[in-house]
Amino acid sequence: MNNFFAVVVSGALLCSATSAIAHHSFAAQYDADKPVTLQGVVTKVEWTNPHARFYVDVEDEEGKVVNWNLELASPNILRRNGWSRNFVEEGDEVTVEGSLARDGSKMANALAVSLADGTRILSRE
Amino acid sequence: MALTLIAFLFAGPLLAQEGGGTRDEGDAAAFARAGGDLISQTPAQELLERPAPRLPDGSPDFSGLWIGSGPIRDIGLGLLPGEEIVLLPEAKVLMESRLAKDDPEANCLPTGVPRIAPYPWRIVQAPLSGQATHLFFLFEGNIHSYRQIFMDGRGHPEDLDPTWYGHSIGHWEGDTLVIDTVGFNDRFWFDFRGHPHTEQLRTIERYTRTNYGTLEKIVTIIDPGAYEKPFTVQFDATLRPDWELMEYICNENNQDVQHIQGPASE
Repeated sequence: MNNFFAVVVSGALLCSATSAIAHHSFAAQYDADKPVTLQGVVTKVEWTNPHARFYVDVEDEEGKVVNWNLELASPNILRRNGWSRNFVEEGDEVTVEGSLARDGSKMANALAVSLADGTRILSRE
Repeated sequence: MALTLIAFLFAGPLLAQEGGGTRDEGDAAAFARAGGDLISQTPAQELLERPAPRLPDGSPDFSGLWIGSGPIRDIGLGLLPGEEIVLLPEAKVLMESRLAKDDPEANCLPTGVPRIAPYPWRIVQAPLSGQATHLFFLFEGNIHSYRQIFMDGRGHPEDLDPTWYGHSIGHWEGDTLVIDTVGFNDRFWFDFRGHPHTEQLRTIERYTRTNYGTLEKIVTIIDPGAYEKPFTVQFDATLRPDWELMEYICNENNQDVQHIQGPASE
């Protein structure tokens, strides 16, 4: 399993330069200067276009649980980078590194996802 | 799952029957032998640098799956030396007023010409034997769509309804495919920055397959309704013999536009 994910990570790294672009301007939606790290439990995965998304329940500083909407690339780009729709599943405990949405909504573009076993999967918008 | 992925990575190149040449498994086998990076699916440089293939009648063969090309972010990035973009005052006002959320591409509408979505596209020639009467450009994104280029010598009709891809007629000048297109609507943008055009737009695209893996694309934009003078840009595409078109139904879950902020920008 570890070897398998090593393959995935190297594939994502190699492809990141060509996949860091989508059907809209990244900078108009997300702020690369506002990195965020979110830890929580996956509540839903949408393997859909134009972006795959997953939603994570994150407990804030006051103990209130907030559901975050996390954007990945499109399934066709993710597939070509070696991803599968099963990499992140409902119930998984994840740590997500991403860029915050400019409009202040509970939304981020996910750059890397770490699973409970320590596996870190890279993604690029 | 791991086995499935590995099988997929190895089967892709071996199944590829791209780009003409002899159209037998020799090309795909050569790809595998040439030591292309099967993990990243990067085609071997040796294959991509071979001479451009030809159809049995000697004409250039452009068929295959292409990625890259453009414009995507900014049409100005492709300006050839000495070329410049000079917007007419009305077009300048329009461009400066455009908001990123209104980009038709962000709204899952077609790219128009010469814009390209950051997804692959395939050129299909028909018929495969003898002189092509039609070329089809099949786009994975921004929506599943296509352009048809008439190669049978017809001209442009007089009364065209304005459309996203216009009416395209093509001919060969040596090994260069020249496509003349009119009849565009004014709804698409040339890029993320929102470069505009009017229904007077005419594009002259010149495609040359300079080697097996490279499709040179030089486009002249002629629009006296939006630009003071024509300008010419170049954006080249790269062959991906190890890829196939995949489904990309852009509008099935498009949550982006309601969160996109500010003026049109790269």
